[in-house]
Amino acid sequence: MKLYCLSGHPTLPCNVLKFKSTTIMLDCGLDITASLYFLPLPLVHSPRLSKLPGWVSKDGAVNLEKELKECSGRVFVDSQPEFCLPERELLDLSTIDVILISNYHCMMALPYITENTGFTGTVYATEPTLQIGRLLMEELVAFMERVPKAHTATCWKNKDIQKLLPAPLKDVVDVCSWRRCYSMLEVNSALSKVQLVGYSQKVELFGAVQVSPLSSGYSLGSSNWIIQSHYEKVSYVSGSSLLTTHPQPMDQSSLKNSDVLILTGLTQIPTANPDGMLGEFCSNLSMTIRAGGNVLVPCYSSGVIYDLLECLYQFMDSANLGNTPFYFISPVANSSLEFSQIFAEWLCQNKQSKVYLPEPPFPHAELIQTNKLKHYPSIHGDFSSEFRQPCVVFTGHPSLRFGDVVHFMELWGKSSLNTIIFTEPDFSYLEALAPYQPLAMKCVYCPIDTRLNFHQVSKLLKEIQPLHVVCPEPYTQPPPAQPHRTDLMLELQPAPMAYRRCSVLGLPFRRRYERIHLLPELAKSLVLSEMKTGVSVATVSAVLHSKDNKHVLQPVVKPAPVPPSKKRKRVTEDPPEVLDPKPLLTGAVPLEPFLALLHKNGIMEVKVEETSGGHILHLQAEDVLIQLEEEGTHIICDHNESLRTALRDLVLRFLHKL
Amino acid sequence: MIESECVLLVQFVTICILHCFQGLHCDSTFFGAMDNLPDQRNVNGESLLQQQPCLLEFISSVCKCKDADHAILSFTLKLTGLLAATEQGFRLLEEEGLLACAFERGGWCAPDLWHEPSVRSGWLQGLLNTLNHRKALEFIRENGLIKVLLHLQNDPSLFVSSLANEVLVNILNFMTSSKMSNSSDAAGSTQCPMGPDWVSVSSEIIRAGVEALGSEKHPQVIQALKMLSLVLSQCGEPIRSMLWKDVLVPLEVLINGGSGSLTLPLMNVLQAAVRTPLLSQSDCKVMELTEAMLCAGNGKDCFQCAVLIVTLEKCPDVLKRKAINIILLPLRCLSTQLQDIAEKELEIVLEKQLSQKSSCISLLLQSLSGITELAHTKYPFEDLQSVTRSVMLLLRICSGHLSSFSPHRISLTHLIGCCKVQRCGLDTLGALSVYKENVDLRHEVFGVLLEYLQNPDSHATVLKKALQAAVRWIDVWSPFPDLLQFISRDLFPALEKRTCDVRWEVRDSTLEFIAQMTAALRGNTGYAEVLHTSGMFSILLSSLADVEGYVRASAVGAVGEAVTSLVQQTELLLASYLEEILSRMMAILSQDTEGFPRRAVVKAFTSWLKGPHPLPALDQSLSSVLSSGGNDFDWEVKIHTLELADVLMEKTLTCCPYAVQISSSPDETHLTQALRKLKDLGLLDLLLNSLFDCDRPVCEKACSLLLKLRTLAVDIDRCDVVLDVCGNRWGDEVGSRYLNKLQAERNLLSIKDISLPDVVRLLDLDSMQRTLTLSSDHVVNSPRSLMEDILLSVQQTEENIVDCY
Repeated sequence: MKLYCLSGHPTLPCNVLKFKSTTIMLDCGLDITASLYFLPLPLVHSPRLSKLPGWVSKDGAVNLEKELKECSGRVFVDSQPEFCLPERELLDLSTIDVILISNYHCMMALPYITENTGFTGTVYATEPTLQIGRLLMEELVAFMERVPKAHTATCWKNKDIQKLLPAPLKDVVDVCSWRRCYSMLEVNSALSKVQLVGYSQKVELFGAVQVSPLSSGYSLGSSNWIIQSHYEKVSYVSGSSLLTTHPQPMDQSSLKNSDVLILTGLTQIPTANPDGMLGEFCSNLSMTIRAGGNVLVPCYSSGVIYDLLECLYQFMDSANLGNTPFYFISPVANSSLEFSQIFAEWLCQNKQSKVYLPEPPFPHAELIQTNKLKHYPSIHGDFSSEFRQPCVVFTGHPSLRFGDVVHFMELWGKSSLNTIIFTEPDFSYLEALAPYQPLAMKCVYCPIDTRLNFHQVSKLLKEIQPLHVVCPEPYTQPPPAQPHRTDLMLELQPAPMAYRRCSVLGLPFRRRYERIHLLPELAKSLVLSEMKTGVSVATVSAVLHSKDNKHVLQPVVKPAPVPPSKKRKRVTEDPPEVLDPKPLLTGAVPLEPFLALLHKNGIMEVKVEETSGGHILHLQAEDVLIQLEEEGTHIICDHNESLRTALRDLVLRFLHKL
Repeated sequence: MIESECVLLVQFVTICILHCFQGLHCDSTFFGAMDNLPDQRNVNGESLLQQQPCLLEFISSVCKCKDADHAILSFTLKLTGLLAATEQGFRLLEEEGLLACAFERGGWCAPDLWHEPSVRSGWLQGLLNTLNHRKALEFIRENGLIKVLLHLQNDPSLFVSSLANEVLVNILNFMTSSKMSNSSDAAGSTQCPMGPDWVSVSSEIIRAGVEALGSEKHPQVIQALKMLSLVLSQCGEPIRSMLWKDVLVPLEVLINGGSGSLTLPLMNVLQAAVRTPLLSQSDCKVMELTEAMLCAGNGKDCFQCAVLIVTLEKCPDVLKRKAINIILLPLRCLSTQLQDIAEKELEIVLEKQLSQKSSCISLLLQSLSGITELAHTKYPFEDLQSVTRSVMLLLRICSGHLSSFSPHRISLTHLIGCCKVQRCGLDTLGALSVYKENVDLRHEVFGVLLEYLQNPDSHATVLKKALQAAVRWIDVWSPFPDLLQFISRDLFPALEKRTCDVRWEVRDSTLEFIAQMTAALRGNTGYAEVLHTSGMFSILLSSLADVEGYVRASAVGAVGEAVTSLVQQTELLLASYLEEILSRMMAILSQDTEGFPRRAVVKAFTSWLKGPHPLPALDQSLSSVLSSGGNDFDWEVKIHTLELADVLMEKTLTCCPYAVQISSSPDETHLTQALRKLKDLGLLDLLLNSLFDCDRPVCEKACSLLLKLRTLAVDIDRCDVVLDVCGNRWGDEVGSRYLNKLQAERNLLSIKDISLPDVVRLLDLDSMQRTLTLSSDHVVNSPRSLMEDILLSVQQTEENIVDCY
């Protein structure tokens, strides 16, 4: 059993498990942080961005004026943002049989895996994962395609040039594997390979293993996976949460008794408690609105935004925000808000029960009805005429490199009354803000990451007790910025196996058993001998038939006498030759009675030597050695066949034939 | 002595108890009777037994009853003891043979009842009750009851064993008291005659105690230690010295043995010994033992012991310092490498305890609360600043802000986010503000406090503690000019966010803090300006509309303080806000659905009125405040309104009248003008209406204010202020009294106006005040009521389920 690690990112994993002749990809997350090296894509012409000076090396030797621009002391690539893909050279992607998706954030690289790689397998995901994942992909494509760039910057990637560039561009690795965003065509094709599964549904893969998704409590339809054969169990834990938010709670008990547990997707900000951050979010928002400023919340169009809106719904009146308009701007805003209301079976019990009242599970329906929350596909169109300040705007993309958020940054960045509140933990807020400097607006960092923290995960592991844990390398050491926080790492016995990008791990357990079925007629013919109470043994002669990883013992068909033929028979048609099985011997040779027997048969001089596995008997006069061990008896007797046979017969007196 | 009217009731009760004792179910009636009997022993010079001979019959029949209920028997034993408390009663009972019948084991016809703990307890209580004269003690000694008592010391029932201890201690105590001397022989003598019989009794008790201390049975040792501490605290000489001399050796053995579970009882013994003259006798080794106690045993006991030593009143300085050093060790262990060899030994114990979450927390809490206690007494710490710094260090560890931990490589990650330690640490930090020497640390202290105020994960209770500590340190910082810069640049932005917190508790404590800080900085010229320019005043105003009643109340309080502060310094700044503030305050008072904000509004007005700088345009609102507050549904709002009226009355009637307008008529006296002013403001109506309020405290307060009015306005009889009776709550009552007084001479059907002096006279305020000061439950708690209840419970045939006590 091997694990190929195609991504080193702890929360955007992409691993391939080879288990019993199947090749299973576990998630395919897309690392979008590479886009932070690019200039933002403004929706409306930005004089500031268009006037940025191009970059020329100090000695003038390298001139990349058209590709690189200088902004606030840093150099950015002026091209359509690109993303860092999972490793594609470590493994032939066409050999992948299935891809298991655990949540919609971990499937964004799917088109890069399934398209143009020879992939012919199946992708398994729950319905909300597929639908919301589709929305996120559509949104990403829309953000890119709305603002096409005439040129693509490629020269800077040349290794010789790259090393001459200023930091941080010169330190970026694997830039050649960065790719532009996929197209809608590729998205549709990739998603057409998805087969839907429900929680605890068992899916057979080639008869060899069974996979089954379990609720992970992180987002709508998010799952952990159990991959098991008859005798082995591998659990794959991706983004999971024990907090009481909107999704169904995490199913922990089914993860018990795993041989291997692959643990990914823990919180990215272990020091930030989501409740505290939510409180910070609300108080900062309220403070800004009270002072007459606007609030910008760069966020994904699904996920934490539902909880943010719910929290604000409760907080609004107490903070006197009742008259403040809330805007949600995304190409998929409408679908996201509506989808969240229809996936009732995937929601927590509290929200599920609302559906029977009947009430919408999320309160944002009421916010929309009362016109407190308005959603628009873009800043163009209705929004521009209905826009009222001060207001709160939720919009993407959280990297601040593309999407409608770029416009608001340009619009509100100059006033200190306004505030930008970062809630998504995927991007460094300082990096995200770099091309907008100098910035007058207030910045607040309230990362809300509901995934498991180290305290919760150690409790969970104590409870489910896997034999081995495999995890990304960063989880095995304290955060680099806080080396004293040994509580923010996994401390387990035995130590977890750590992986990084491009690692190939041999997982530490051996396959020892296979299940084989007996056909009834064969079973009937067995003659059992009871070895000890409850254990019976029989010999069986049969044909082992293996197909689709299922093994069946069938009776041997005695060949009918074949009339002599002159025709040459095909070898393959020959029935197997049936031989009478040799009798099997069972039992043990007890030392003292055996010595007595030897004595009785005239062998007097026996020197007994104790060994680790039993005894060695040295028949001194005959110069014969007899090894009596638990697993076998050996008679070493050269040149005296009759003595050997006689001794053998003496040994056989203590054994039973089956 | 009881009231004569109760004598009859006592008779009824005793008869009922006698005849119906088997039908009684309610234990509380017995206890009630017991509570009242001591006062009823002598009625008109006769003993109760002489008055109620049926009691003898009652005792006899219970003791002879084969199937007596254990509760009844227990009650009877206690009653017998009580009746035998006087020599006269004792003699009567002895003559009837009832004492032996009750207290000798063979006396009852149901000896099995001895197995009931309540019976044993009743027996002990009975003996304890008798211990009032020499005869009782003789009875105990002659009947060999001392042995039984010593046996009961180790009774499985804690109540019984502790009562046995008490009886034994009382016996010892009694032998040394003047009561032991025959009243005729040794009148006026304080010396007690310790005859050989008594010496043998005391020796027997002391010997048993010494043996128990050396016992290997843990409960016996504990009982002996308990008795020892009781003797030390209750008995006089020579018993105290005799006992101490004998127990010294086993006590030393126990202390040096260092058994953890004995630390507390041993400390109780030493604590009791320290309070006696034994402390000053060097051969008694009290201090040596205490010191040994501190040094013996494992680390945990030693901390417990140190905490106890610190609380000792008469503790030598050397020992106290030693104990304090131990208390400080856990904190020092976090910050510095210990040098002392003895400390190094403890350090090993400490490191182990600090590395485990539960022991670490309890150790640190003990240490912190020890420091807090010492700070309350202003104990002069040797290195005060390092103590304060180590508390700050601990707080930073708890908030997860510290990058490197102790030099001992102890992992203290379990302390991160630990609310218990955070709360206690903040309390300690607040307490350490009492030391002037700490003033240099103010910036560091506020650095830590700000971390807590800014930390989004700070629990609401932790934030409250941080704010409480901040108030105390603001006081320390107030004389320095850099305070204002800190407030405007660091503190207010942090507080601003907290006033918008999702948790109402946090918003509430923040506003409370701002009010306290504003009050503390009253008179600081710059602060009022900072309050205004930083926008904090606007934030306070917007908090008046909070959804949570408590927060609105705190906001009202904070606005009240801010206005006081602003009016003193920057009246002009305030002018633009004042109208809005008053109208919003009035809106809260008249419309708010919750009582707290309304109470706060009245209190704010009171505080403004009390202030040295009169608030412009305040008197226009006063009439509405008095009227709304007086008619409020909440009695506390009414009380606060009466307090406002009190201040208003005092200001108006004393020589410097509050906003008294020049009278139109030059003949009107100042008093009349002032009273007219009060009448116009509605104050007199408020007082009179409140006098007849349905809530007693309101009536009481109104009554006391009317009395005060009478005192303040000495010439009230001469004033011609006339009150309109019609349309007022008080009108009917006063009107009818008025008509009664006139004896319907003119047969008036109704009256319209009565003069103020008439009203005050008619009301008979002094008598009203007397009635009102009696608490409402004085009726139900009287002996009379109790006995009526007993009778009622006896008369009830069905079980009385509801216990009305």
